[in-house]
Amino acid sequence: MSTESSNHMGGNSKVFLEVKGLKTHFFTDEGVVKAVDGADFRIQRGGTVCLVGESGCGKSVTARSILQIVDRPGRIVEGQILLHRSNGETVDLVGLSPHGKIMRSIRGKEIAMIFQEPMSSLSPVHTIGNQIMEAILLHFDTDKEEARTRAIDLLKRVGIPKADQRLDAYVFQLSGGMRQRAMIAIALSCQPSLLIADEPTTALDVTTQAIILDLIKELQRDLNMTIMFITHDLGVVAEIADEVVVMYLGKAVESGTVDTIFHDPKHPYTRALHKSIPKLGESDKGPLDTIRGMVPHPFARPPGCTFHPRCDSFMPGVCDRIDPPIISLDEGADVRCLLYGGAESERPVSLESKEEG
Amino acid sequence: MAANATQGSQPSVSSNGAPLLELKNLKMHFPITTRGLLRKVIGHVKAVDGASLTIQEGETFALVGESGCGKTTLGRCIIRIYQPTAGVINYGEPDGTVVDLATIQGKHLKPYRRAIRMIFQDPYSSLNPRRKVLQIVGEPLIRHNIASGSELEDRVADLLRKVGLRPEYILRYPHAFSGGERQRIGVARALALNPRLVIADEAVSALDVSVQAQILNLLQDLQAEFNLTYLFVAHDLSVVEHIADRVAVMYVGKLVELGTRGQIFNAPKHPYTEALMSAVPKPDPRLRDAGSRIRLEGEVADPSNPPSGCYFHPRCRYTQDRCKVKEPALRDIGQGQHVACHFAEQLQLKGVAGM
Repeated sequence: MSTESSNHMGGNSKVFLEVKGLKTHFFTDEGVVKAVDGADFRIQRGGTVCLVGESGCGKSVTARSILQIVDRPGRIVEGQILLHRSNGETVDLVGLSPHGKIMRSIRGKEIAMIFQEPMSSLSPVHTIGNQIMEAILLHFDTDKEEARTRAIDLLKRVGIPKADQRLDAYVFQLSGGMRQRAMIAIALSCQPSLLIADEPTTALDVTTQAIILDLIKELQRDLNMTIMFITHDLGVVAEIADEVVVMYLGKAVESGTVDTIFHDPKHPYTRALHKSIPKLGESDKGPLDTIRGMVPHPFARPPGCTFHPRCDSFMPGVCDRIDPPIISLDEGADVRCLLYGGAESERPVSLESKEEG
Repeated sequence: MAANATQGSQPSVSSNGAPLLELKNLKMHFPITTRGLLRKVIGHVKAVDGASLTIQEGETFALVGESGCGKTTLGRCIIRIYQPTAGVINYGEPDGTVVDLATIQGKHLKPYRRAIRMIFQDPYSSLNPRRKVLQIVGEPLIRHNIASGSELEDRVADLLRKVGLRPEYILRYPHAFSGGERQRIGVARALALNPRLVIADEAVSALDVSVQAQILNLLQDLQAEFNLTYLFVAHDLSVVEHIADRVAVMYVGKLVELGTRGQIFNAPKHPYTEALMSAVPKPDPRLRDAGSRIRLEGEVADPSNPPSGCYFHPRCRYTQDRCKVKEPALRDIGQGQHVACHFAEQLQLKGVAGM
């Protein structure tokens, strides 16, 4: 616990963004979908955090909550998203109006986002150049001429050949990899401090993916950007993350450095995820370990720990009753699992429960 | 159960020795036409441009490559969704007769549509949302006049049980199922007619990792139970390494390498195979900067206007003058491994273990 507070707690200039107890719910006619229901993590300045989890675990909604672009009927119901600027200022993004002036000045300029499908998230009726220049003209006091020059520089920066010609190209005229580069150029146009990348390589081929990942890493180094990377591919996580947040059913169930997540995972869900992926070079054709059952329906979340019906370490009478609190372990890892404590207050359990330090 | 059948990686050849499927120089060219009334043909997209391979009964044959390389088109030619432009698709019947599927037309194809079935990629768009599971899975049985009425219900319930779904779900619509369950419905539909060959076109790509593992295990169990042959079209190499007996690598409509799983993954002979495997991110952060990474520059060649010589030469790091002018043929370099590269013997390429 002692190392925890000195390294990570607020007020420290190393932390760029802190998400505390974030809950984003969708109020539909059929009921409340708790898309994000307790996400806690920090992003270090200049570091890369990966959000991992299966579809429907709330990773994209978490990202959208940070930018305040959650679609209706969704809304942030609880929690804080603290943005620590380098000049010592701290802003709670949750307190800002989504349509207000301050949020609009942060969105795109301080925090920018790359979306998954470039074909559907870029405008088909505007040229690439127009879409890059839009952000520049909106956030900076420049004329069109200068914005165009900057747009050409950006396209060159992300490795698009013949940038001055491609500026006037439409999205459908570019290949998948080039589209994703154009999207990155738009996101970088205002030199954001934080880049949120939502599955930016999922729709790409492995060969293109490798090049885009290299590009993102290189740009991060050169521009000193902080990156939040959302993916479901553990291979990609191993490639680029400094820290990893594993999400399951709207909750951050485990967070820690990339090395602990891969070599000493604590949460049974993280362990099960590792076992269920076929690994290149380690194939023996035996059946894969699977996580039994399936992700529960959003309206029928299990009580207690939401993972308990699929968990191999399920403790009857404990896991199905108690909602696990966040336990901070020595190594700087946070885990939401009753194996590591948190059940004592309810009733004593005779398990090798690791207490917080 | 799965282990028994798959461990014997030597595929069982049918009694007369003929392969289940043999493709000879298969071509599928799509015309590019001008707009307007005349629709003048101004070129061709050579989606599949001379593919030859054999698939033995009981094996899992995987087709890998980047998007646009023609692997899906090749699968669709076999099942005759497309009429191939040229080439032979020899299908070996259980009694030993060999039929060229490429020349058969219309209703004469019907018996072969029973024997060769397909599992589609996206379980959300490949199931009709207005049909119940009974209708979706039962449709092939009705079309082929195999069952109707209560017998149909029994057979569909039986199929659902085989793929791990509860038979009580028979009257539900697809929207009531999760992605993994929908894919199981797709598998049940493919199995309804007791096929011999199942073409799985990116059958697990759209699924989450935990569900993907379940479906892969299911496919292996079903293969052991019904002696199925799979043509597994995929771009995820770790999945292919897990499930395949033999692998063919495609690049711009042509096969560039073909061999057993061990040959392709441990001792690749084509530079494209090497590059493709090196691009797969390794799920271990400690290996992040270890080994040599190959980054393929440029884009996949345009199949309507491919480069001269070897199609891969503009992106190949071992390219020489000969590659620019002479197109390499797919040739046997021993032990069943086929490579289309002039310098296959000279190059020292790395398999997955060396990366």
